Amino acid sequence: MVNSYRPTTLPEALKLMETRDMIPFAGGTDLMVKYQSWKGTLPRFPKDVLFLNHIPSLKKIEVNGETLAIGAGATLSDVIDYPRTPDILREAVLSIAAPGIRNIATLAGNICNASPAGDSICALYALDASVILSKSGGERELPLPEFITGPGKTSLGRGELLTEVRIPLKEANLQVFRKVGTRKANALSKLSFSAVAEIKGGTIDGIALAFGAVGPTVVRSKELEKKLTGKTLEEIKVLYKDIIDDYSAMIVPIDDQRSTAVYRKQVALNLLKNFLESGLLKEMQ
Amino acid sequence: MAKISFILNGEEVSVEADPLKRLLDVLREDFEALGVKEGCGEGECGACSVILDGKLVNSCMVPLGAAEGADIVTPEGLRETEKGKVIVESFADTGAVQCGFCTPGMMMAAEALLEKNNNPDESEIREALSGNLCRCTGYDLIVKGVKVSAERGKDLW
Amino acid sequence: MNDEIRKSVRRVDAVAKASGLAKYISDYNFGDILYARLVRSTRPRAKIISITVPELPDGYYYVDHRDIPEKGKNRIQMIKDDWKVFAEDEVRYVGETIALLIGPDREKLLSLLSEIKISYEDQEPAYTIEEGLACKGGAIVGDDNIYGEYNLVKGDPDTAFNNAARVIEGTYRTGFQEHLYMEPQGMVGTWEGGRVNIYASAQCPYYIQKSVSGALGVEGKEVRIKQVTTGGAFGGKEHFPDVIAVPLAVAVNKIKKPVELIFDRIEDISYTCKRHPSRITIKTALDKENNITGMTIDTVINGGGYESSTLIVLQRALLHGIGVYNIPNAHVRGRAVATNTFPSDAYRGFGAPQGLYAIEMHMSQVAKELGMFPADFKRKYFIKNGDMTITNATMKDTVKLEEMFAAADEMSGYSKKIREYKDDPYKGIGISFVNHGGGFTGNGEQEIIKGVVKMKRTGENSAALYVSNVEMGQGLQTVLRKIAAKELGLNYTDIEYDNPDTDIVPDSGPTVASRSTMVVGYLIQECAKKLKTKWDEGVGAEAEHHYKHPSEFKWDQDTLQGDAYPTYGWGINVVEVEMDKDTYEVKTTGIWTVFDVGIPMDDTIMYGQVSGGVVQGLGYASIEKCEVLDGKFRQHTMADYVIPTSVDFPQIKNRFIDNPYKYGPSGAKGAGELVFDAAAPAYADAVQQLAGKNIYDIPVTPEMIMGLEE
Repeated sequence: MVNSYRPTTLPEALKLMETRDMIPFAGGTDLMVKYQSWKGTLPRFPKDVLFLNHIPSLKKIEVNGETLAIGAGATLSDVIDYPRTPDILREAVLSIAAPGIRNIATLAGNICNASPAGDSICALYALDASVILSKSGGERELPLPEFITGPGKTSLGRGELLTEVRIPLKEANLQVFRKVGTRKANALSKLSFSAVAEIKGGTIDGIALAFGAVGPTVVRSKELEKKLTGKTLEEIKVLYKDIIDDYSAMIVPIDDQRSTAVYRKQVALNLLKNFLESGLLKEMQ
Repeated sequence: MAKISFILNGEEVSVEADPLKRLLDVLREDFEALGVKEGCGEGECGACSVILDGKLVNSCMVPLGAAEGADIVTPEGLRETEKGKVIVESFADTGAVQCGFCTPGMMMAAEALLEKNNNPDESEIREALSGNLCRCTGYDLIVKGVKVSAERGKDLW
Repeated sequence: MNDEIRKSVRRVDAVAKASGLAKYISDYNFGDILYARLVRSTRPRAKIISITVPELPDGYYYVDHRDIPEKGKNRIQMIKDDWKVFAEDEVRYVGETIALLIGPDREKLLSLLSEIKISYEDQEPAYTIEEGLACKGGAIVGDDNIYGEYNLVKGDPDTAFNNAARVIEGTYRTGFQEHLYMEPQGMVGTWEGGRVNIYASAQCPYYIQKSVSGALGVEGKEVRIKQVTTGGAFGGKEHFPDVIAVPLAVAVNKIKKPVELIFDRIEDISYTCKRHPSRITIKTALDKENNITGMTIDTVINGGGYESSTLIVLQRALLHGIGVYNIPNAHVRGRAVATNTFPSDAYRGFGAPQGLYAIEMHMSQVAKELGMFPADFKRKYFIKNGDMTITNATMKDTVKLEEMFAAADEMSGYSKKIREYKDDPYKGIGISFVNHGGGFTGNGEQEIIKGVVKMKRTGENSAALYVSNVEMGQGLQTVLRKIAAKELGLNYTDIEYDNPDTDIVPDSGPTVASRSTMVVGYLIQECAKKLKTKWDEGVGAEAEHHYKHPSEFKWDQDTLQGDAYPTYGWGINVVEVEMDKDTYEVKTTGIWTVFDVGIPMDDTIMYGQVSGGVVQGLGYASIEKCEVLDGKFRQHTMADYVIPTSVDFPQIKNRFIDNPYKYGPSGAKGAGELVFDAAAPAYADAVQQLAGKNIYDIPVTPEMIMGLEE
C-alpha cells in the first residue's frame, strides 16, 4: 500500500522526507505518465508520494540581487509569465508540451526527471543554473551539471528536496534556443540547442553553448567555451573548423523511436554553425 | 484513503478516496462528470481537460491529492454558464463538431483562452488548442468555432 | 433543388457532443459491471507450450477457446475467417488474443493478470514485406506466404516494353498508419433477453452480428448489436471491433453478466490493426517522342498475421494503382504477404492511398526525367469519359479534371510557383490528382451487401429512418436526415434516426467504402419517395427499399473485369512547403484542394471532411512514423505516435466542382476516403520539388530529407 502526504509547509515536508523514502511530487506530469496504469486503478507508484503543491512558499519566483530564484512549486506557465525570465528559458519552456500541461508541470520537476530530452534543462545548462537541495537542518547548492548525473539520474540525496532553481542574470546580447521536435507543437524533442553570448567591443566576453538529447546528459563544454572567450571575429574565423570538429567529437547521440543518431548529430552541428555564422559573427561585425 | 474536498462547478464537494486516484477518474466515477473524456491517459490529447483554479489542465495528470481545495470546472459546469452556452452554440453553428470526443475538452481550452485573451487571432487560437488533439476535423472549423465564440461573446470575456 | 440540400445546417449531434452530454460507451452505466482484460501473446511467432492460470477467487473468470460453444467455431468471421477468436496452440503476432480475464475489481484483475504464466517455443518471425516474401523462418501461410495474387492487364504491355525507347522505374514504400480515433476501442457485452447483446463503438453492427453469431454457432438474430455514439473510426472500427466483440461475447455467453472491454490508449495503439504497409514498383515505357506507351505496377502489401480483409484492400490498391491516367498498355500485379506483425486492416482509403501515392510520385518523377513540370506532364494522360480503364471497361464518369485543375491553379498559383521555385532549395510546391471509386468494388453492393432501408411515418410531420449505418463523426446522422426530409417535404430535424440496433434496423450494409451517402443515401431517397406515396395511409405507414445495381454497370468478380466502380470522386491537392536549411524540418505554408464529390450534401459537413481528411493524409505523409521493433509497434504511445496538432498545418482553401451522379441522392458521390487520398503525394511531391531529388517513401521525415541531401 502506497501512502501519500500533503504537507503545507517546507519544514513539514522536509521532516517527512527524513522519515521515509518518498517520491516528491510537484506537478507530477512525468510521474503520472511513468506510473500510469489501467483507467480506474491507481497509478503504480513504487514508493510513498509527497505532494509539494500545497506549500505556498515553494511557488515563489523572485529576483534576489542578480539571481533569479524559481521555487520548486512554480509551474512552467508561471515561469513563462514572469517578466524577468531569461528569453531562452522562456522559449524553451514554451516549447514543452501544451498549455494544459504547462499549467501543472514545474521547472523543478522537469529537472528532477533528468531526461536527456528535457527542454528546459538544455537552456538551464547554458544559463549556468544551479539547484538548491534542502533537507531538515540545511541546504546545499549544486550546479545543474553536477546535479544531473545520467538519464533519469540525479544526485538528490536521501531526505533531500530540490526546493529552488537559481539562475544568475547575466548580460547576454545574444540568446538562441532551438528545439527540433517530433511535430510543430506538443512535441517531444529530437534535439535542442541553447546558446548565450555576450559580445563586447567586437570580442566574445562570455559564451555558453548547450546541446540537448544528443547524449545521456546535456552536452556543454566550458573548456571549448574558454577557447572562444576573448576572441575577435577574425580569430573565430580561423578557429571555425576546429570548433566544429571539437563539438563533433563530443556529440554522440543514439537512435530511438523519435529520431536517428546521424540526424541528431548533423542537425546539432548545423545549428551550431548557424549560430556561429549568422548569430555570433553578425553580432560581432 | 482520505476525505478530500474541492469546489466542483461552483459547489463544495468532498470525496473519500485514495489521494493518488486520478482526478479524471474521480470526476467521472464519483461525480458523473462524463463530459470529461479519457482519450489517452498520458497528458497528450486534452480530451480530459478541465479548468482548475482558472487554468486549463489535463485531469488525467492530476491526482486527487494535488487537487485538494481547488476550484474545478468541468464541461458540466461550463455548459451552464453564459460563456459556455456561447461556445457550445458557436461550435455547433460553425461545424466544429464531428465525432465529438475531443469537443468538450476543446470547449475548456476555448474558455481558458478567452478568459486570458478575448480577441485572439488565428495563431493564438491554434496555439491555445495545441494540446487538444482532434482526428476528425483538421482543426479549421474548430478554430472558426473559437473565433465566432469570441465575436459573439465579446461582452462576456 | 441541389442548391437547397447543400446549404449548411446545424448538425443534429453538435450541441449534445459539444456540451459533453453525448454518451460514448465508457459513459454508460450497466450496473454491476465486470471488467475484462485481454491475455495477449508477447511473442511474434511461437508455439504455446503451456499456460498457467492462478487460482481465481469467486466472481473471476478466465475465458479462452475452450469456452466456445460446441456448435460454434473458434474463428472470427470477417471477409475471410482465418483469424482465431482465441489462440490455441500457436501465435502469429504480438498481441494475439489468448484469453480474457474477467472480474469485478480492476486492481485485483491486474494482479491476477500478472500471475498468468505462458511458456512458448519461439520460432523465427518475419516482419517486413521482404522477409515475408522470402518466407523467413518458414512460411506462415501456405507454402509461399502469399494470401493472394491478382493481375490486371490492359492492352499489350509486353510489346510496349519490348519496343520502348526508354524505361523509367521507381519503387515506393508506405508505412503503417494508426487511425488514432480519439475514442479508443470499446464495448460492453450484456446478457439480456436470454442472449448476448453487444453495445459497441463501431462502424458495422451487422459485421459484429455475423462474427459473434458465427463463433457462438447461433442464428444472426440470436445476438443483438447496438451501436453507441462513436468517437471516430476511420476504418479502425470496421473489422477490428469483431476481434474483441467475439471473445467478449463468448465470455458473456459463459458468465451471463455484463462485461466491459474498453482499451487504454497504449493498448489501442499497440494492439489494433493499422493501414497496410506497401511496396510498389512502377516501370514506365516511353517511346522516342517521350510518350508513355506502357506501364507495369507491382504492388505488395503487408497483411500481417491473418488475412481478414487484406485481399479486398489489395484489390482496391490495384484498381486505383494507375490513378487518373489513361495508359494504353498496362499490367498491374498485386500480392498480399503474410508476416508476423499485427494483422493490417481497413483504414480510410482501403488500399487506394498506397496505390495513388506511388503512381502520383512516379508520374512526377517521370516528368522530371523528361524535363517537364509534373502537372503539365500528368494532364496529357488524364483519363476521359469513354476511355478504357485498367479493368477493360469504359470510364463512364464525365471527368472534370481539367476544370478542376484550372480552379486549383487559379487558387494556388501552382503553375507560376513551380517555375519560380525551380532552383530554390528551400521552397517547393507539389500537386496530386486522384480519384476514388464510390461504394463496394464491382458488384459487391449487389452480390455481398444487398442493402435494405426502411422508413416509417411516425407522426403528423415526422418520419423515422431505419438503416444500419452509423454516425462516427462524418455527419451521417445529419446528411441522411436531410436526404429523407427533402423527399418528404419535412424539416431534417423531423426525421428520427437512432444509433442502429440490429433488432430494429434492416441491414443496409456497413459504414465503409464511402458508400453511406452515395449508396445508402440513394436508397433512402428512393424509399422516401415510396413513403410519400403512402403518406396518406397515416401514422405507421412504412416503406422499404432494396439495392438494385444499375444495369449499365457490369462486373466479373472472378476476373476483376468490367466496371470496377459505378462512379468516382475526383480530387486535386496542391501543397506548398518551406524547409529549414539547418534542421530539414518542413513547414507547410499553403494547402489548396479541389474536389468533385458530385453534389455536396452539406457544404460545411463536406468542408469538415475535406479538412479532416487532408490533415490526416498530411500526417501520414510527414510525421506518422510507425516502425516494428521485435514484433511490436515502436511508436505506441501518443507521445511517440504523433498526429497533427492545430499548429502543424495552415487552413485549407477548398473548392467543390459540381458533377452530379445519376444514382447518388441529389447527385452525391462518395467522399469520405477521397479527401484523404491526395494529400500524401502532394506533400511528398512538394518536398521532392525543393530537394531536387526523388522521394520514394513516406513518411517524409526530416531524417529522410537529410539523407537525400547527402
